[in-house]
Amino acid sequence: MEIAFTRAQRRKLASQIFVGVCVAAAGIALIALGLIMFSLFTKGFSGIDTMVFTHDTPGPDSHGGLRNAIVGSIMMCTLAMMIAVFIGVLAGTWLAEIGGDSKYGHAVRFLNDVLLSAPSILIGLFIYEMMVRPMHGFSGWAGAVALGVLATPVVTRTTEDILNLQPNALREAGMALGASQWVTVRKIIWKAASAGLLTGGLLGFARISGETAPILFTSLNNQFFSTDMSQPIASLPVVIYQFAMSPFDIWQELAWAGALLITATVLAINILGRWVARDKDHR
Amino acid sequence: MSDSSVAPNTQPETPADVQADARFESIIVPPPADSLVMEVRDLNFFYGPNQSLFDVNMPIQKSGITALIGPSGCGKSTLLRTMNRIYDLYPGQRAQGEILLDGENILSPKLDVTALRARVGMVFQKPTPFPMSIYDNVAFGVRLYHKKTKAEMDEVVEKALRRAALWDEVKDKLTKSGLSLSGGQQQRLCVARGIAVEPEVLLLDEPASALDPISTAKLEDTLEELKRDITIVIVTHNLQQAARLSDYTGFMFLGKMIEFGPTEELFVRPKAGKTADYIGGRFG
Repeated sequence: MEIAFTRAQRRKLASQIFVGVCVAAAGIALIALGLIMFSLFTKGFSGIDTMVFTHDTPGPDSHGGLRNAIVGSIMMCTLAMMIAVFIGVLAGTWLAEIGGDSKYGHAVRFLNDVLLSAPSILIGLFIYEMMVRPMHGFSGWAGAVALGVLATPVVTRTTEDILNLQPNALREAGMALGASQWVTVRKIIWKAASAGLLTGGLLGFARISGETAPILFTSLNNQFFSTDMSQPIASLPVVIYQFAMSPFDIWQELAWAGALLITATVLAINILGRWVARDKDHR
Repeated sequence: MSDSSVAPNTQPETPADVQADARFESIIVPPPADSLVMEVRDLNFFYGPNQSLFDVNMPIQKSGITALIGPSGCGKSTLLRTMNRIYDLYPGQRAQGEILLDGENILSPKLDVTALRARVGMVFQKPTPFPMSIYDNVAFGVRLYHKKTKAEMDEVVEKALRRAALWDEVKDKLTKSGLSLSGGQQQRLCVARGIAVEPEVLLLDEPASALDPISTAKLEDTLEELKRDITIVIVTHNLQQAARLSDYTGFMFLGKMIEFGPTEELFVRPKAGKTADYIGGRFG
């Protein structure tokens, strides 16, 4: 009687402690996130005006905007995502549908995981050696490829995971109608997994949108407006890096505005993606 | 890559009475020889190292319904899955023997399996509508093989949905997602999708097991209609369903075809003791 009572009590206590620790851990993460967002908004919001979008990065201690950096970032990220989605979706599909169980498949998956956690600065150095040096100069192309290499393993991984979640019955149903494996994957499985594939793309984009290190080695920076991808090109993360370290108030304010822009864009694209995916499921 | 509708990998223990009888002979009362469309001959099937079908023979009558009954794991789904070679999707599964479709052995490695599957359609245990509109679901298989104008395709889709007894329920929402239908409607959509390509044979793997009684009745009516032009082979756990629907019935046990014959005869005067036990509810 006495033992049973204390055992029940002990269990209840252990449960309460565990739940408490979980809540505390979640709370700490949320507080940190809240503080970051708070300082980002208070310091960045005042810096955002129309000039940010209409003027290029200014010289020291003079007024200007971030137009060249915004355009450069959009161009490089778009191209990078085209590379990453093309390679990543095909590679992920191969792993999930065709060769995932083979020796080669295990090797590909392992290497992809290594690439997934590779320091981004290494990828920057790699592209520097592969593209910048042979082409004798920093360029937007090199920046886009570096970002693409960074996003590809994220897309590959999510694609494989999402496709593995699709029921085999769906594959069998497609093949039972006389469709080839390729047609079944393309027209049925990808369609069934479209929301997840979109999420993979978004995760990849979120991974690269704030990357500075690989860009420093590849597209470098450009103080002026340029859409020439064969030349050095400005980008938000590098401008933030440069301006935030500077002693000039105007530059620092622009850095905050740039940081807020990146965060808001990632947030907006995520919400949009989820909304589109939701809409699809409930049609 | 697991699937509950596939027979288990581990073969059930063979009881002494079947094992001891080395000269095991199936009792088969075949339909008239000139009415056969398909014939399974000495079929053995393996999941990796485990054998799950043993020398199975089964004649299938054209334009009729053939039912397969037997306890869980007896191999009836496995047998059905050899008949359109859907097991090909899984490395490690293999079949030995012959399955003749209009005299041609479909187990031949030279055979074009996609063409075979257009001739031998399949409906699965769980409804599997594709994530697209009702119209596109039905048109999917047809588009693989034929270029049709919009008007021709409309006709094909309507005909298939009518034959599957679904037209009246969906004619006003053909552009809606197939996933928006109820379970019973989804299953009839899968039947419509399967017959739109005009197969010679339609295989159904426990098609009603996820349906309520009313949906089941509707599905059975559909099959009764369809059997005039399409040969139907149905796996079912429901003995009444087999008795109601089918012209011929095969009883399987532990990977063997114990008895095959006209449904009425098999249910009323079973020749094998095992069959009588199973139908009488003494095991299974």
